[in-house]
Amino acid sequence: MHAILCIIVIVGALGIQGCAAPEPSQDLLALTEAQMKIRSVQTRTFDVKDRQLAMRGVIAALQDLGFIIERANEPLGLVTAARFAEPNFYDVVGVTVTVRQEGAGRMMIRANAIYNNKPIEDPKVYQNFFTTLERSLFITKG
Amino acid sequence: MRRTLVAGICLFLSSQLAGCVTHTQPAELFQLTAESPRNKAMETRFFETKDEVELLSASAAVLQDLGFQVEESVQDVGFLRATKERSAREYGQDIGRFFTFILSLGGFIMPVDLHQKIAATLIARPINPEATRQEVRIIFYRVVWKGDGQADRQYIPPGQQKMEMLRDPVMYQQFFAKLSKAVFLEAFAL
Repeated sequence: MHAILCIIVIVGALGIQGCAAPEPSQDLLALTEAQMKIRSVQTRTFDVKDRQLAMRGVIAALQDLGFIIERANEPLGLVTAARFAEPNFYDVVGVTVTVRQEGAGRMMIRANAIYNNKPIEDPKVYQNFFTTLERSLFITKG
Repeated sequence: MRRTLVAGICLFLSSQLAGCVTHTQPAELFQLTAESPRNKAMETRFFETKDEVELLSASAAVLQDLGFQVEESVQDVGFLRATKERSAREYGQDIGRFFTFILSLGGFIMPVDLHQKIAATLIARPINPEATRQEVRIIFYRVVWKGDGQADRQYIPPGQQKMEMLRDPVMYQQFFAKLSKAVFLEAFAL
């Protein structure tokens, strides 16, 4: 009986170790090569003339993806949205999208996504987002 | 004594399991799913009107009628966000709390849902270049906060959060029925 209790306690202790939060690194604000790469992954340029039209496209795309629009600022071209990581309702995905004019008739759109306060750096995530956005912008234009 | 100890360890272990539950990968969260078109159809209606501002202010009025407080609005992109806070107490949970308390010999007091915030975000936008046709899309969701509890001698503090999207079609139908009455226009589904 004692042996079983011992084993349970050890397994429990291992469980605590497995769930420990990682320490934040020292060079949190240093500009690295990886950050430049991430920025290029997060940014894409679209042929849209009107910024408001581009913003409406971004909002529609985010809604299609099941995001809740939390904040929008038209003069700054800013949209902030979030969604719960269904099917579990304890994790949150947040995204901030900025729309900026880049030359005549071109819009630079940048998306930053976080998963529970941790930045998402997987290029595939941003590819997926821009694919949906492309479709949404096409429909909005039409 | 030994029984409470074993019960306590079991509870502790199960809480460990809950902490290590597998999470949905973020990559999947940026993809359209099979449910996306269905949700979109439920959340969206079309109105044959040029007046986007009127549609937006009527939406705000309907949300107010439903007890919501408008928290944020941006007219340039046709955006509204409104919330209402209500009690989340359910008798079923209190009964469950009572029985787990009895069965665990007073060792476990289950936290129950205490308070909830129901929120709605709404977007109104023209969908053709002449802007004679408007689309209104509303999404409802809620955040629930749990009360306090106790597992053996470990106190569970209140405030644990649970979030969920509200996907009851009746709720959306009621909202759009009220909105179309408010703007004297017929709402078209997808």
